[in-house]
Amino acid sequence: MLSRSFPQTRRDVAFPVIGSIVLFIVLLGGGMLYQTILGNGSAERLVTTMLIDAIIVVGIQIYIGNTGILSFGHIGFGAIAGYIFAVYAISPEEKLKRIPMAPFGLTDTQVSPTVAIVIAVAVTLVFALIVGIGLARSGAQSGSVAATVITLALLFVTHEVAKSWPELTGGNRGGISFGIGESLKTRLPILAMLFAALLVARLYGQSRSGKLAVAAREDNLAARAMGVNPLVQQMVALLISVIVVSVGSSLRVWQIGSILPDRFFFDYAMLTLVMLIVGGRNSVTGAVLGVAVMTAARELARRLGQDGFEVFGIGLDDAPLDWVFRENLNSVVLGLAMVGFMIWRPTGILEDWEFDQWLYSKFGRGDESEPERLAELDNIPDVRFDASGINVAFGGFKALTNAGIEAAAGEIVGIIGPNGAGKTTFVNVITGMVEPQSGEFSIDGEDLAGKASYELSRSGLVRTFQNLRLFGALTVRENVEIAALVAQEHRSERTLRDVDSLMAEAGLWEHRDRRARELDYGNSRRLELARAAAMAPSFMLLDEPTSGMSDTESITMIEQVRHMAATVGAGVIVIDHDLAFITGISDRIYVFDQGEVIAQGTPAEVQANPQVQAAYLGSAAMT
Amino acid sequence: MLEVSGLTTTYGAIAALRDASLTVGAGEVVGLIGPNGAGKTTLLGSIAGLLPISAGTITFDGGDITSTAPEKILRSGLALVPEHRRIFADMTVEENLKIGGITTKSSERAQLLDEMADLFPVLRQKWDTPAGYMSGGEAQQLAIARALMSKPKLIMMDEPSLGLAPILVDLVFELLETLRSQGRTIVVVEQNATRMLEVADRAYVLRSGEIVADGTGQELLDRSDLFDTFVGG
Amino acid sequence: MSELLQNLIDGLGRGSIYALLALGVAVVFGIMHLLNFAHGELITIPGYLAYWAFTNDWTWWALAPAIIVSAVLASLVIERIAFSRVRGATDFTMLLTSFGVHFIVAAGFLLYVGAGVKQIERPGWFANTVSLGSLNIEVFDLIVIGATFAVLGATTWLLQRTMFGLALRAAASDFDTARLMGVKSDSVIRGAFALSGFLAGIAGVFWIMREGQVTPSAGINPMLQGVLAALIGGLGSLRGAVLGGFVLGLAEVLLRSWLPVDIQNLTTGFVFVMIALLFIFRPGGLLSVPQVERV
Repeated sequence: MLSRSFPQTRRDVAFPVIGSIVLFIVLLGGGMLYQTILGNGSAERLVTTMLIDAIIVVGIQIYIGNTGILSFGHIGFGAIAGYIFAVYAISPEEKLKRIPMAPFGLTDTQVSPTVAIVIAVAVTLVFALIVGIGLARSGAQSGSVAATVITLALLFVTHEVAKSWPELTGGNRGGISFGIGESLKTRLPILAMLFAALLVARLYGQSRSGKLAVAAREDNLAARAMGVNPLVQQMVALLISVIVVSVGSSLRVWQIGSILPDRFFFDYAMLTLVMLIVGGRNSVTGAVLGVAVMTAARELARRLGQDGFEVFGIGLDDAPLDWVFRENLNSVVLGLAMVGFMIWRPTGILEDWEFDQWLYSKFGRGDESEPERLAELDNIPDVRFDASGINVAFGGFKALTNAGIEAAAGEIVGIIGPNGAGKTTFVNVITGMVEPQSGEFSIDGEDLAGKASYELSRSGLVRTFQNLRLFGALTVRENVEIAALVAQEHRSERTLRDVDSLMAEAGLWEHRDRRARELDYGNSRRLELARAAAMAPSFMLLDEPTSGMSDTESITMIEQVRHMAATVGAGVIVIDHDLAFITGISDRIYVFDQGEVIAQGTPAEVQANPQVQAAYLGSAAMT
Repeated sequence: MLEVSGLTTTYGAIAALRDASLTVGAGEVVGLIGPNGAGKTTLLGSIAGLLPISAGTITFDGGDITSTAPEKILRSGLALVPEHRRIFADMTVEENLKIGGITTKSSERAQLLDEMADLFPVLRQKWDTPAGYMSGGEAQQLAIARALMSKPKLIMMDEPSLGLAPILVDLVFELLETLRSQGRTIVVVEQNATRMLEVADRAYVLRSGEIVADGTGQELLDRSDLFDTFVGG
Repeated sequence: MSELLQNLIDGLGRGSIYALLALGVAVVFGIMHLLNFAHGELITIPGYLAYWAFTNDWTWWALAPAIIVSAVLASLVIERIAFSRVRGATDFTMLLTSFGVHFIVAAGFLLYVGAGVKQIERPGWFANTVSLGSLNIEVFDLIVIGATFAVLGATTWLLQRTMFGLALRAAASDFDTARLMGVKSDSVIRGAFALSGFLAGIAGVFWIMREGQVTPSAGINPMLQGVLAALIGGLGSLRGAVLGGFVLGLAEVLLRSWLPVDIQNLTTGFVFVMIALLFIFRPGGLLSVPQVERV
């Protein structure tokens, strides 16, 4: 049924490859141009350094960009890789000078640099796996502070060990170095690896794992409600990024010809982070731009700091500004760039603009026509949802007492009650976001109590949120696609609907390329509905789908919810405070008050119930 | 005393409140009623300075308080008892009250503490207990007492009966009566519409971010279309 | 037995400084959710002042108050220039801002004072010890422990008994509601930074005395110890931060004495590994503050 499968060849493979080629050529071309104009050795070294930095920054981008977790630890991983590479690649004669007592007989071992890089990557991956488990345990998610400190601690551990284990590392002063003529003299491996890094970063960004990681970055809770396990995607992103960073760090050591603890410490972590942040951490294009901009800015500052400087032949009389243009000005520039961007443009120059996706939207997409309306399914699998005896207390406050509902496939069940009646708590319980003191709930007899929310949604119970939780930086299409990606993997036994059709169904076709955070309220609500439907759920749980909508919009929403549910064959459990909406849409209604189910029945029965009127208009009406 | 005109507040793309105007005279008890999501809390939050306002003006006690910091608005004599009470859970009852009276002189504060202990006997019993250990009804009384500590000229309450058992709801309304008899000016957001209208001098009905009706409590009670407007028809 | 006692006292001395640093980190984190990676600058900046004063023949009696005052001022100035502009921004943004501030300060000293190590002479009694039975206790440790407990006591009094302390705690637990009570956001945030600076200043006196030198990047270690200790204790908990400081200090000293001689120089590495294990088994730290996920 799925007319567009993932990944889409043009958008997710071909254009990213083209984009990587272009980025590679532009960065290298710019460097070559600069080098030719200046025509001296120091310019050449600067460009080589920039290319290596680019590999490492692009590697870091794979993690920070896709997960939103700030990591200082990648340079720590770089240190591990760098030392392992050096210890294996340096000739025994050189090692005898610095580390004659190296453990594991490493003094006498030598392998080719390529093999050394492979060993370095493999060993570093083991460390990354361990750190990744720690990060997952700490509940790492976009912006989490504890995760950042863990990565910072890693940076310090590697530095500390490198300093205080001279038998292996040559210690703080000497380090270890390649013999004369052993260090990297050609740029070829660097260029090859830079290109590979760009490819990996872009292809990962467009991959299933990359997209799910970005969804979790945008809204962890909503991603879990869509069946995404963020911890798995974060781990994948971490391992891939560590591979790239390890390769880049090995090259860095090889090219410089030696390694010292301070080479992979605070200063370098700061440099690479600033590069990433300045360009725009959420995009590979941004990372590359940041490398170029910061390399240029630092070089300029370095030259300005030198006495009697001149830039491109233009000499300036720097005497009045002597107090600024001093040696080491370039490190001040780093700090200023960081703070300045954080204050005025925290998302960097490019935000999340990606060159190849722009290219694709301009030239790659061809004509798109709005899909036909979807037919409603007529053979809906017979599935039942049962919840009973659910009790929840927050402190001394009983939010739910013995609450329960039943729903069958294809049915629309309404839950209504005044503010504070426990409706949302109930939804939070059956979607795994609040743990009940007691109670059980199941789909088709499969006990679901105690499962994580991403497991519940994979079992077919998919929710929307009262206060709208869309993946704001992603387009409308990407929002729906993420749910479809999960459905493809976990809901394949159901009828999976095409992403484009679902967008059209929700009336979002014309907005398909807009970012979710730019949508108005009604469209945001409809996008939540389409995204939930794309999960091919057995039951859709809609939490206040009309809150904030006007009366006419609410009435249209009734039809849209009904139709959308019928096209994916889902039962609907809908919560709302609006009696007109609930009675208009529901086949059966449960009335909640003070955390209890006080009435149930058809809309007519419930409306006639005096207790319901009392719950709505106040207890005085009961008398 | 309080005059709001043309107030519009938006969250991102969402206009939670559109062109709302209302007045509150000295000594009045004014109710704000309407369904969940109607914009009542947004209205109070906007007046109190917690939410950025897109359009409109608010004057209080003769001064313009539009787009003023919440602490300044409080200092001009306008207090808000926020939704869900928002008491400081790990501070004791006494400390919560003291914070409420942070704008008063320390001698006056001591006297106000005594007054609150008299007005709310349950607080006196739990004086040194961390507020997080109190029941919903007790916490609500603390929240109100805390707001009274600043000696406000006008006190706004957001759903004081929310989540309380019926007997405690009675208590909240008794308290409203007490405060009214002390001649205080009060604005209350309530879902418990009938009871609110019975207590209020005047009330405004909100729906979908707009004020759709206003009148004295009795006028609104007598309007047969109220049920429909209120629960959505 | 006596060795253990000796280690405990050493560890308390070390932990005291960490506890002061961690408490300062926690106070600021509590109020604006900023994990301050520039906290160490509150030692670097007074460190250079101390160096300057020392070359001008100040005594430690004059130096100590100057260090504390300059730490408070530095804290306030940094808040004013940098952190006040990112109030309410994401944790990510605030974290990187503080990291940037660290770099600007460090690079500033590099630019104008130079990379070299600047020596500050320790007071004459620094190396003195008092013997108590078989124990040899450093006078320095005794003073540090005594001063720390006095400062912690005073801070507790400040937080529990003064209106400023109440306002600070209220704002840390619910900033908006505190403002609704009339707590002035600017004053309470500046107050938090001043307190944080004061605590760092006290720690700074001892840190500078112990190190006897200052370099542009001198802030990195105290920052790391403070941040880690705050995290060990449980971010958001002031008691946790103090506890975390002492735990970290004791762990360092005890581990160093238990490790075989040939790997003793890896103590710090092992401490980090222990911290990592702590986070894996107790992600919220020792006194974790329960985090309710808002749906």
